[in-house]
Amino acid sequence: MRVANVFLLGVVVAVGVVGCSDKTNPRVATKLNQDAMLVGDLPANPLQGRVITSWIDKRNATMSTMFGNDVAVQNARTKAVVPYPVGAVLSVVTWGQQEDARWFGGNIPKGVKAVEFVTVTAPGAYSYERFEGLPLKKVASGEGGDPADRAGYLMSVRAAVMP
Amino acid sequence: MIVVAASRIRTLVWVAVIFAVGFLCLQLVRPTLTNPPVTAELQAPPEVRQILRNSCYNCHSNETQLPWFDKVVPAYWLVTSDVKEARKHLNFSEIGKLPAAQQKAFLFEAVNMIQLGAMPLPSYLRVHPGAAVTPEQLAVLRNYLIAPADLDATAAAEAAIRAASASSAADAEYDKWVHTSNVAMDVKPEFNGVAYIPDYKNWKVISSTDRFDNHTMREILGNDVAVKAIAEGHINPWPDGTTFAKVTWAQTQPDVNGFVKTGAFVQVELMVKDATKYASTEGWGFGRWRGTELKPYGKDAGFQNECTSCHAPMAKNDYVYTMPIGGQQ
Ligand code: HEC
Ligand code: HEC
Repeated sequence: MRVANVFLLGVVVAVGVVGCSDKTNPRVATKLNQDAMLVGDLPANPLQGRVITSWIDKRNATMSTMFGNDVAVQNARTKAVVPYPVGAVLSVVTWGQQEDARWFGGNIPKGVKAVEFVTVTAPGAYSYERFEGLPLKKVASGEGGDPADRAGYLMSVRAAVMP
Repeated sequence: MIVVAASRIRTLVWVAVIFAVGFLCLQLVRPTLTNPPVTAELQAPPEVRQILRNSCYNCHSNETQLPWFDKVVPAYWLVTSDVKEARKHLNFSEIGKLPAAQQKAFLFEAVNMIQLGAMPLPSYLRVHPGAAVTPEQLAVLRNYLIAPADLDATAAAEAAIRAASASSAADAEYDKWVHTSNVAMDVKPEFNGVAYIPDYKNWKVISSTDRFDNHTMREILGNDVAVKAIAEGHINPWPDGTTFAKVTWAQTQPDVNGFVKTGAFVQVELMVKDATKYASTEGWGFGRWRGTELKPYGKDAGFQNECTSCHAPMAKNDYVYTMPIGGQQ
């Protein structure tokens, strides 16, 4: 009788160990990051450009990625012209942050805080536009050549090394 | 009638006896499972260790204590092989000798394996429900890892010196790269044959990560096949030809505006989808190239086990971690 019981238990344990019945963990379920989508009327979609660099504002818990059109990217990666030649367009998307549900230890983009564009219109001259809100709306624009302002700062940010 | 029934019963009894004897004989086929000495146990507060001891140590330590029903074959065979495999991946009785940051990296991975439902092994949990990590216990582990490391004055001074030298090294790396980025490099394929793809830097960004667990930041890029799959919503499984690149940089110290930027280049990693060609590694060809000299990672093709083990909890999402930003065109 005891032997039979142990035998049964062995079988039950084996079936338990081999069997499978898992539901998909919600963290693993397939989905897009819709929170971080760019929604609104923008002159161009920055994500269609190529990446130049990125940065994180730890104090405000935001993360930004700078993109460029071909002229801007080519120049950012070779620095033939300082800061940028005519025709270069830089765009910066700044997102809030959320914990990566799939990796504790990582933060990923949440809602868009701002989108900025810097266009070099003539040697030493550029235009600057800034969009905020949901949907994104233009909140600032300007022309100038003062390297101390925001646009000048963005043009001075160097490219991330991508061998 | 009665005779037939009696002989049937006799046959059944014989079958039962043969099974039972066979079963008892199998009990003698026992792979050895010993408990080697605990050489350097994980350094962590007692409440953290206690949780791991309860849920993980049976497999991931040299203090395995199997309940009697695990000692019954065939359960014993399965548990033994799990313990041997588990100790190879992570042994809490031996990782105490690693630098503190590396021990913490293991704990981050541990929390993630728990959160994603990958550990304790689901097969083990079904039979040992008491090994489940409760939400409260999970919070204890997470809080321990979120708390900033308290550096004493010497450690803080050393960190500042390291940061300064890392920053000048990153400047030198940038200067060299920006003058040579137009020159094609000769980069070796990975040990598993996966080729390096220099064009990754011209792909579309699909997400980015700020990894405070190891002070790095990453951009995740996808080739045209990947971007089309996102636009059309066909991302599980990803179509053959999909290729992801993940670029990793060290995080710099905050600048005057409080911004942390991309510091030294760490590595670029690729995942190339081909369900047939890469069937033995879950349909993906993995590769990692380290440093600006882009040295293939690993000693042999065995490196890819690291990739597949850590991506395994994402099996139901085609082994992909990244949640692509919506709105691709
Ligand atoms: C029944 C045995 C068993 C138990 C209990 C168990 N593990 Fe594991 N674990 C394994 C095995 C086997 C592997 C290696 C193969 C794999 O990754 O599935 C592993 C691998 C891992 C890895 C490494 C994955 C990699 O990338 O190599 C981590 C981290 C881990 N386990 C964490 C835990 C934690 C945390 C617990 C407790 C909450 C736990 N395990 C409990 C058997 C176990
Ligand atoms: C310790 C766990 C771990 C290991 C080991 C690991 N990865 Fe990943 N991988 C991740 C996580 C988490 C992400 C999500 C992005 C991020 O946070 O960096 C990821 C993302 C990626 C991506 C982007 C696509 C995706 O799945 O999100 C690539 C490409 C990649 N890994 C390649 C590799 C290669 C190649 C290896 C082995 C040489 C490897 N990984 C080993 C955890 C791991």
